[in-house]
Amino acid sequence: MKKIRIGVASFEHMHAKSYTRQASLMENVELVGIYDGDEYRGTEMASLFHTTYYSSYDDLLDAGLDGVIICTNNRDHAPFVVKAAARKVNILVEKPFAVNLEDAEAMLSACKENGVRIMNAFPLRFNPNIIEAKKEIDEGKIGNILCITGINHGKIPSGWFLDRTLSGGGGIMDHTVHLADLIRWFSASEYKNVYCEGGCLLHDKGIDDTGLVMAEMENGVFATIDCSWAHHANYPIWPQVDMEIIGTKGVLEVKAFAQVNHYVDEAQGKIEDISWDEGGDEGLVREFVDVCATGREPLASGLDGARALEVTDGAYRSLASHEKEEVRHVRA
Amino acid sequence: MVRIALIGCGTMGRTHSAAYATIGNAKVVSVCDLDSAKRTKVAALHGAEAFASYEEMEAKGGFDVLDVCLPTYLHKEYAVRAMRKGYHVFSEKPIALNVEDAEEMVRTARENHVKFSVGHVLRFFPEYVEVEKEIQSGRLGVPRLIRTTRNQAFPAWSWENWYQDEKKSGGVIMDLVIHDIDWILHAIGPVERVYAKSFNGKVEKQDHCLVILKLASGAIAHVEGSWAYPKGSPFRMTYEVVGTKAQVEYDSVSDSPITLRTNTNDVPECQFLNPMAQAMEPYRKELQLYVDAVDHGTDVVVTGEESIETLRVVLAAVKSSKTGESVEVSK
Repeated sequence: MKKIRIGVASFEHMHAKSYTRQASLMENVELVGIYDGDEYRGTEMASLFHTTYYSSYDDLLDAGLDGVIICTNNRDHAPFVVKAAARKVNILVEKPFAVNLEDAEAMLSACKENGVRIMNAFPLRFNPNIIEAKKEIDEGKIGNILCITGINHGKIPSGWFLDRTLSGGGGIMDHTVHLADLIRWFSASEYKNVYCEGGCLLHDKGIDDTGLVMAEMENGVFATIDCSWAHHANYPIWPQVDMEIIGTKGVLEVKAFAQVNHYVDEAQGKIEDISWDEGGDEGLVREFVDVCATGREPLASGLDGARALEVTDGAYRSLASHEKEEVRHVRA
Repeated sequence: MVRIALIGCGTMGRTHSAAYATIGNAKVVSVCDLDSAKRTKVAALHGAEAFASYEEMEAKGGFDVLDVCLPTYLHKEYAVRAMRKGYHVFSEKPIALNVEDAEEMVRTARENHVKFSVGHVLRFFPEYVEVEKEIQSGRLGVPRLIRTTRNQAFPAWSWENWYQDEKKSGGVIMDLVIHDIDWILHAIGPVERVYAKSFNGKVEKQDHCLVILKLASGAIAHVEGSWAYPKGSPFRMTYEVVGTKAQVEYDSVSDSPITLRTNTNDVPECQFLNPMAQAMEPYRKELQLYVDAVDHGTDVVVTGEESIETLRVVLAAVKSSKTGESVEVSK
């Protein structure tokens, strides 16, 4: 069996750990190595996953990869993607796709020109609860979709997430895209306009942490996305992704992380809900490996990532103007 | 003893009627409805006289308060007529369908020195009262993100299907989420800007709205209301308030103390019962406090002025849902 050669570029985003674990568990994957600009973190992760540490991204790409998983800070997605594309390496890049639509277009065109596949990390597309919800809807159980309410609450992250130059924004940048992607996927339509209220309201970290986004699709479906880092530090679960979908014949509610065990832990002084759901990371990484093996068009493509980012872009413009903003579309 | 004349014996009229039966210092003496069976039944409960028209009931007199449980588009006409005759008036919500009518009602009450109040009953639901206390105590810090939902099937029970007629009910924003908007204004603070979408009569027998509020304090709120759930769906209301120091959540279904499952003639049913917070108890409290205000000459709890403020925000949301633009709330 030919092994698919995968590298990981940076553990700046903590999701890298889960993706790398999933890749390392796959029999047809060879984990070639890990690049990280932070030597301590990079060597630690290389040791954890029994692979080689690269202090140079170029050297990792030169090692002969079929695919690279990019989990840098958000700003660096664009240069890392463009470089990988130039070396004809397929790409799985963490969400949000980019920090602005210009970068997103540059990333998409670099991949197109070099004939490589690019995926955006939307694990919810591979979450069993979300997949089942999509199936019920596609079977017509609730008729035609009229309206969707989405909530993606979580705790406030730390480090570069709070540095606008590296993250591109706060909660609105971090949390809008997951639901923006699912709403677009479920409603099978593109975004038309968007409105947003929010700001630095809860945590006093100098960056937007609370946001309510309302969007309208080309087909008339309207939807809201609550992208707030709304959970205080001791909230029992992280994360929360809920959708309520109103149809002409029924209503479907789905909670992507509803299946939990409730722990009351006296020794640690905390109450915690531990999710035993398959979040979606396994399916995401399997999809990427299969795309690397076959060259087929992926589910959760770079273009899907860019389309979801269009909502974030409109939301920040609306946040400034206090008005509804038409969605700007990236060139496919 | 405060003597009550009740006009309108639909769902709300019957709810008020049942509430008055438990209020010691009130007695329903007159009942009015176009439907003979409905008025007779309510009148019988109180030993009251039944009338087919307001004119007859007013001519007979002998009451202190007119309780208006008519469809919304009729509130002003009967409230104003009664107040001009010196009667106190309690009106179901919404106060009226436009600010001009609402202001006329409040002005008429002032000029005639009568007690006027509006049925913003959510303020009397114990779960909402409890969280309001915690908000006021500062436990949550500054409230910053509020989410409320109020979801159910389309009201199939209405006289001449007036709920479906937007000119009569105002639709789901005006009739349903007005409860949550009033509660947010009362418990959190004034609203500055609104953005909303709803089906706006484009979908037969279904209405649904999503409303985003920007409060003057900087807080934001997501208000959802539905008449789009399938027939037979249990009523559900929820709220979530996230403050700078703490957050609180409530869900009337998952927090319901009683779940009743039955199967009659092969039709399964599941009901969520909440004896402390289901319809009767908050209405009893609301009307008891109003009757006391009339009885003792004290201030009403829910004022006409507050009801106008709530209406202004609701109208801004209705306007936004029609124009597709954000709307600043007029002062």
